[in-house]
Amino acid sequence: MKLPLPPWVRPRALIALLATCAALALGPLLHSDVYIHNLLTLTFIGIAAALAWNWLGGYLGQVSFGHAAMFGLGGFVAAKAEISMGMPMVFAWCFGGVIAGLYALVWGHPTLRLRGPYFSIATIGVGEATRLVGTYWDWLTGGSSGTSLPMHPNLKFTLYWYALALAAVAMAASYALRRSSLGLALLAIKSDVDAASDVGVSSTRLQDLVLFLSGAMIGVCGASYGSYFSYIEPGDMFGFDRSISWVLMGVIGGIGTIAGPALGAIIFVLLRQYLIASYPQLYLGLYGILLVLVILFEPLGLTGLSLRVLRRARPDLIVSGSET
Amino acid sequence: MDRFAELVIASVLLAGLYATMAYGLGLIYGVLRIVNLNHGGMIMAGAYAGWYLHSEYGIDPYLSLLPVAAVSFLLGIAMYRGLVHRLPRGAAGGVQSLLLLFGVWLVMRNVAYLLFTGNDQTLRTSYSTRAAVLAGALVSVNRVAVFAVALATLIILHILLTRTYLGKAIRAVAQNPDSCTLVGIRVERIYALTFGLGTALAAIAGLLGATLFPFNPSFGAGELLKSFVVVVLGGLGSVAGTAIAALILAAVEVFAILFIPAYLTAAVGFVLLVLVLVLRPGGLFGQRVLG
Amino acid sequence: MRNSRTALFLCVVLAAACKKQTASQEQPSGGTAPAGQTVAAPGADTIRVGATLPLTGAEARTGGFYKEGYELAFEEATKNGGVDVGGKKMAVQLTLLDDTSTQATAASLADRLINSDKVNFLLGTYATNLVEAQSVVAEQNQIPYVNGGGAATAIYKRGYKWVFGLLAPVELLAESIMKWIDTQQKAGKLPKPATIALLWENTSHGKDFRKGVTEFADKSKNYKVTVDESFELNGKDFSALLGKVKAANTDLFLADAHLPDYITMQRQYVTAGMCHKIQSYGARGSEKQAAESLTPKNVQYILSAVWWSNQLSSKSPEAKRFVDLFKAKYGGRAPEWYQALGYETVRALFAAITQAGSLDRDAVRQKLAALKIPSLLPGGELTFPAEFGQQSHAPFVVQQNLPDGTSPIVAPPDAATGTGIAPNPGCAK
Repeated sequence: MKLPLPPWVRPRALIALLATCAALALGPLLHSDVYIHNLLTLTFIGIAAALAWNWLGGYLGQVSFGHAAMFGLGGFVAAKAEISMGMPMVFAWCFGGVIAGLYALVWGHPTLRLRGPYFSIATIGVGEATRLVGTYWDWLTGGSSGTSLPMHPNLKFTLYWYALALAAVAMAASYALRRSSLGLALLAIKSDVDAASDVGVSSTRLQDLVLFLSGAMIGVCGASYGSYFSYIEPGDMFGFDRSISWVLMGVIGGIGTIAGPALGAIIFVLLRQYLIASYPQLYLGLYGILLVLVILFEPLGLTGLSLRVLRRARPDLIVSGSET
Repeated sequence: MDRFAELVIASVLLAGLYATMAYGLGLIYGVLRIVNLNHGGMIMAGAYAGWYLHSEYGIDPYLSLLPVAAVSFLLGIAMYRGLVHRLPRGAAGGVQSLLLLFGVWLVMRNVAYLLFTGNDQTLRTSYSTRAAVLAGALVSVNRVAVFAVALATLIILHILLTRTYLGKAIRAVAQNPDSCTLVGIRVERIYALTFGLGTALAAIAGLLGATLFPFNPSFGAGELLKSFVVVVLGGLGSVAGTAIAALILAAVEVFAILFIPAYLTAAVGFVLLVLVLVLRPGGLFGQRVLG
Repeated sequence: MRNSRTALFLCVVLAAACKKQTASQEQPSGGTAPAGQTVAAPGADTIRVGATLPLTGAEARTGGFYKEGYELAFEEATKNGGVDVGGKKMAVQLTLLDDTSTQATAASLADRLINSDKVNFLLGTYATNLVEAQSVVAEQNQIPYVNGGGAATAIYKRGYKWVFGLLAPVELLAESIMKWIDTQQKAGKLPKPATIALLWENTSHGKDFRKGVTEFADKSKNYKVTVDESFELNGKDFSALLGKVKAANTDLFLADAHLPDYITMQRQYVTAGMCHKIQSYGARGSEKQAAESLTPKNVQYILSAVWWSNQLSSKSPEAKRFVDLFKAKYGGRAPEWYQALGYETVRALFAAITQAGSLDRDAVRQKLAALKIPSLLPGGELTFPAEFGQQSHAPFVVQQNLPDGTSPIVAPPDAATGTGIAPNPGCAK
């Protein structure tokens, strides 16, 4: 039996993804710890968001400090759609995601012409302006009082599998965006936009596409986060701290790698939960130290580090695709 | 008319602080081509330094300006030699150094948090709430003092950059580091000094800000953004350009209250930032460097 | 060679980070949080109560006041040998965490307290916006949640079954202030109609205040709101906003702000040389802390309506008992309403547990819903009426700061300990 797979899909990667998902999907049957269950749900949402950030920040090299704008927008649009229009949850998520993706295009299409630090600075402005307007815009967000979503019994428990599916989709998309011919085009844009355009890569359209996908995915993450907490408010959803958390996850996990940000997200979410009760806010400082070390010594983050360790042990196992 | 005069005075006084805040950021970018995201961290550090010296030793914040600036200058040089120096500059290292300094900022915030907790602090002096009549409008004495210090700082900087050998060297390095090496300017040393100078300016701005506003470890984030707006608007290095840009930002913020809900006036600066970046994508930070 | 050194370095740092975490786990009582007040080793006969409070961040000061109230109540229960549950005295243990004044943290810590620390009941945090976020988690997990820190009606309009509030709504607070102002206007001390500058923080708290004031103004027709602006919670610079108020030149200045914003705004108000016939910051005004940081002269004649005042002890035995207890523990310092509400919140929960005679969550919830106990609150009784979404509707006391540094109760008449002054004699002209 031979599956009709595109040539860029390595069967081994596919099997690994499917097996991990299957194991995680069955996991809750083996333990009854609600706390760990909920923590994993949050981790999955974090993974999906970090991967989505990486499509823009890693694959295109456009580091965004303002992705919370789409996270919040997706969350509030989905909540509004669920409450006022009675939309089923998953449709509302997708709707929120699409609106968030479109919003990303609105500010991103003009700003993506900026490269490097300029783009980053512009995104800080976008993020903060969106937060202020979102807090003021009572109709959509409920102002600082936020929005309460309808509470269904057991919803929080079942969200585990929704979040797992979300993370799996994000993972598959990360793989596809990197390994397909599209990935090569993105790499070309990252190294030199002008040169890429010269050889026929339609950089504007591709950048817009990636931005839309990234924004939409983050929007869906925001929507699922809203369903998880049943209560969202703009200061948290649009917060600067939220935007920088994805930067940290991405860079520390391995910016531009396929699975690095997922690793970064896992460590970030767990570390945060672990420290928050005894040393609230310390997690940001620890992550700051890690960030400095990664930038100075290991540009590919934890992924690069583990590859180096692996290379020493088994040089034959190295995947060339993981390097920028 | 009285109201108008009041708003104009408020804008001018605010602009002084903004210009000081932004100048350090612009200077470092102009010479090193590095976006110093730790600018916010140094603003916060300056605020805490002034507050600490005042509450522990009773030193007036305006007297502690010089020592705080001197220490920050050395700290900036240390930061350059220890960290920034290791990265490539310019387009190649742009995002990298931005992220690196962002990490430093996070660490600084946490250090402040561990040392002073996350509580809001205020720097109160005997003249904190005193007001005086200026051109028919009532203004805070403290705001006038902040403006005076800011103005003096900018004038000194201007003289430093245009009249001294060091200033000329800094401007030369900003324009072309390679030829500077040829004529015997020690470029690395100029880089370190510039970084120290920019850092010291941030600390001064933070200290001045602390006399006006309450602050906590995340103080500096909003100030950093405002600095970006000013730098982007005003171009690089030119003291006059920075001052005009600061005035524009302050006026837009102050006068916005006449047209939009007070709550949204804070968003005006950010919108301005994005607009200017988008509309002037080529010469964002100005083509003319330190002219 | 360099690579391996780097790798080693990273590993060491990571290991150090991990080590720090384990260390923090071993000594949970280190630092301010978690301040577990262990009475006995937690076992089957211990009632475990979880709570978060803003011990750091913007609301840290108020959070600290609530902590004093909570601790006093737990100490008292322990002195009495525990809480009576079905004829047996059970020890009580409070697990108190710091929610850093942020909503997301308050919510995730509640989740942790319920599902990881396995507490039996939850006490609320302080400030409306935090309670709003946290109460959702309590409702989701079906655990009784008693709070003395969330006043906005938005919290209780959601039809939650497990959430109980001791603070009467802010709308009533605004109404109490307006009523007193109205008596002054009727006495001819204020212009008719009077213009109002209404400033409210952009939260449920502020919106309720705004609603209370505007509804009163609309009904009576003797007031006109000419400035109606919101501001950001924990703002830094209100000078532009105050400039607008100054230009409008109104008779009354009615704001609703939390303690840090009140102090910041009042400082800028004084600096701007402003003065109004009546000035109020809603529930804030009489705090010792404000008088200390702004000097008493700068908070003169500010009107405030609060949920409790230590002057009630001259009339209510319950209030007197609490004030004595508090002074004994905290070196003679007089409590403010924050500590009283914190204390009373714990007492309400314990009373319901005793009435239920078990730790069964639903039994305690039912007893809370039907609770009717003598209380230190104004009005002397505590209930959680179902028609108001289980939010107490105890009356407010209106206070005014006077030049001698006192803040007597000026309304309602049956609780009054002094007479108020209007208009502000300190204003020039």
